[in-house]
Amino acid sequence: MVTIPYPNVLLDALEIGVMVIDESFEIRYWNQWLEINTAHPASEMIGKNLHDFYPQIDYKVFARKIRTTLRLASPTFYDASLQNRFIEIPRTKITTSLLINMQLQVTISPYIVEEGLVMVSIYDISDLHELKLTLQSQMEKISELNCELHRDKMIIDANLLITKIDEECRIVEATQAFLEFFGYKKESVIGEYLSQVFGDVSVDFDTIQICDAIARQQKWSGEVKAVLANGEEVWFDTVVTPLNDDENGTLSYTVIFHDISDKKRIELLSITDPLTKLFNRHKFNEVFENMIRRRHWDENHTFGLIIADVDHFKRVNDTYGHQSGDKVLIEVAHVFSQTIRTGDILARWGGEEFVCLLPDVDMEKALYVAEKLRLAVEELHFADAGTITSSFGVSIFTPGDTQESMIHRADSSLYRAKENGRNRVECI
Amino acid sequence: MQQNGFTDDHLDMLRELMNIAMGNATASIADLLEAFGKMHIPQIMISDMEGLDSYIQQTIPNDQRNYVTKQLFGGLFSGEFLFVISEESALHLGHHLYDVDKPSDGDILDAVIELTNILSATIISRLTEELNTKVQFFVPSTERVDGNSLISQEDIINYHRIIIISTEMEFQHQNINGQIFILTKDGMIGSLKELIDRKLEELYA
Repeated sequence: MVTIPYPNVLLDALEIGVMVIDESFEIRYWNQWLEINTAHPASEMIGKNLHDFYPQIDYKVFARKIRTTLRLASPTFYDASLQNRFIEIPRTKITTSLLINMQLQVTISPYIVEEGLVMVSIYDISDLHELKLTLQSQMEKISELNCELHRDKMIIDANLLITKIDEECRIVEATQAFLEFFGYKKESVIGEYLSQVFGDVSVDFDTIQICDAIARQQKWSGEVKAVLANGEEVWFDTVVTPLNDDENGTLSYTVIFHDISDKKRIELLSITDPLTKLFNRHKFNEVFENMIRRRHWDENHTFGLIIADVDHFKRVNDTYGHQSGDKVLIEVAHVFSQTIRTGDILARWGGEEFVCLLPDVDMEKALYVAEKLRLAVEELHFADAGTITSSFGVSIFTPGDTQESMIHRADSSLYRAKENGRNRVECI
Repeated sequence: MQQNGFTDDHLDMLRELMNIAMGNATASIADLLEAFGKMHIPQIMISDMEGLDSYIQQTIPNDQRNYVTKQLFGGLFSGEFLFVISEESALHLGHHLYDVDKPSDGDILDAVIELTNILSATIISRLTEELNTKVQFFVPSTERVDGNSLISQEDIINYHRIIIISTEMEFQHQNINGQIFILTKDGMIGSLKELIDRKLEELYA
């Protein structure tokens, strides 16, 4: 065993406070660290009672700890997480600090047991404690944020129609609100393609647009139609947003749906003729105007206009009543809808007159379509009115034409068909 | 029967040493804290961390708040001393040691640390003294834990084999109960076996 010749030098060099004290709290040693940090020099402390300088210490507890240390010849400790349990040492840190006094870790170790002396080691753990407090505070904030997040998530889950879909347009997650709105259980939706859940009405058009946007990894918004589990058709305003999943590096998409079925119904009412369910004159004018403006028509690419009028319709109304007249108009509208091509625009012009726009036709094709319509009406049979006929006027767009000029020519042609004996197709 | 190199003789010896250490602890608490109680016969087993977790789940009720004090000890026989005491028992302990009707949180925490000090110093010191080896105690720390999740997931992954020595401490008069766990891991198991071998040789040579 090597004997250290100058133990005081060693104890003074330590960055901890060291005092030696007996069971009656008389101070026997007070190192340099304590001198500096407590502003009490060793000469003032040694031989004095600690109680005279630090009366706030619970000396009953301190005495018990000293006794335990001496009796067991083993160190005892103060709880390092607590403040002001032992002596108070002011902290000299100038920059931001949460602590006014040092956070101390106090260990009472046996020194000379036979003489009832213990060594009290005082460690300044303020920085560590501050970090702990900061961490605790941050953890509390995180916990609060998590609570808020959870609450928001619950609100979203219960109220917003949202799905998460993968790159193949398969549903990965769905909110409870989405499931309840569509009338499906979670297990019958998760893993399914969006188009399957949306029903047949969307397959050809709406969900394809969403899937196209996903293929391009782009954001998309638009209106889509879907069928609920109970068969009801609904419309959604839809926003698709790409979402990078940092955890596994995959790309997924959130799809937010807003039910706009009521808006769509109102919109439909505003453009629909209530009797025939065809477009009304207002909507037809809008489409007609767009067709003239938006497309670059020339001699080889042009479009036609047909105006149709039910012959002697006033007579049907006067003879069989308005209800019979309405039935004729409904049936004519229906047979026209069945006869025209996909992409042709049919509308009720007013009274017993109908109009039809035929994109990408020449005069010959337009006359052909009008003739088909005429024949279709001729074949109809009504319980009251029997058979009826209709007359048709056709015009073809030529450069410089306006809506009015085309209508004027078609209307003149219709007049000529009437003049020439009705149940005819004419063009000027 | 062998448990990871431990024969029945090893376990019997360890159990015997623990009984001596427990008796020592009971006497010290009576002397230093003026509380007279008893320690139950210790359970000794070698397990993995999942086994420990499951053992703690069985031993500590999940519906109570506990003060959990952990103290590391080092040397040829090193490990972790765990003392678990319910909030209610800790309150009684604070009341008993600080002699006040309503001990503060600080009083209770310090009382728990004080009891843990005595328990670890007597049990581990006596055990290591019997095994002729030295021990170093480190600063204990106490935290309040809801239920019985005393072992973190990280610990479960990191540790492989551990010796669990557990007992119940009961001071009926003061209405104080606690659970003691002494945990040592991996390399220490071999080290402890060697120390017990030496002790056996010393006794039966």
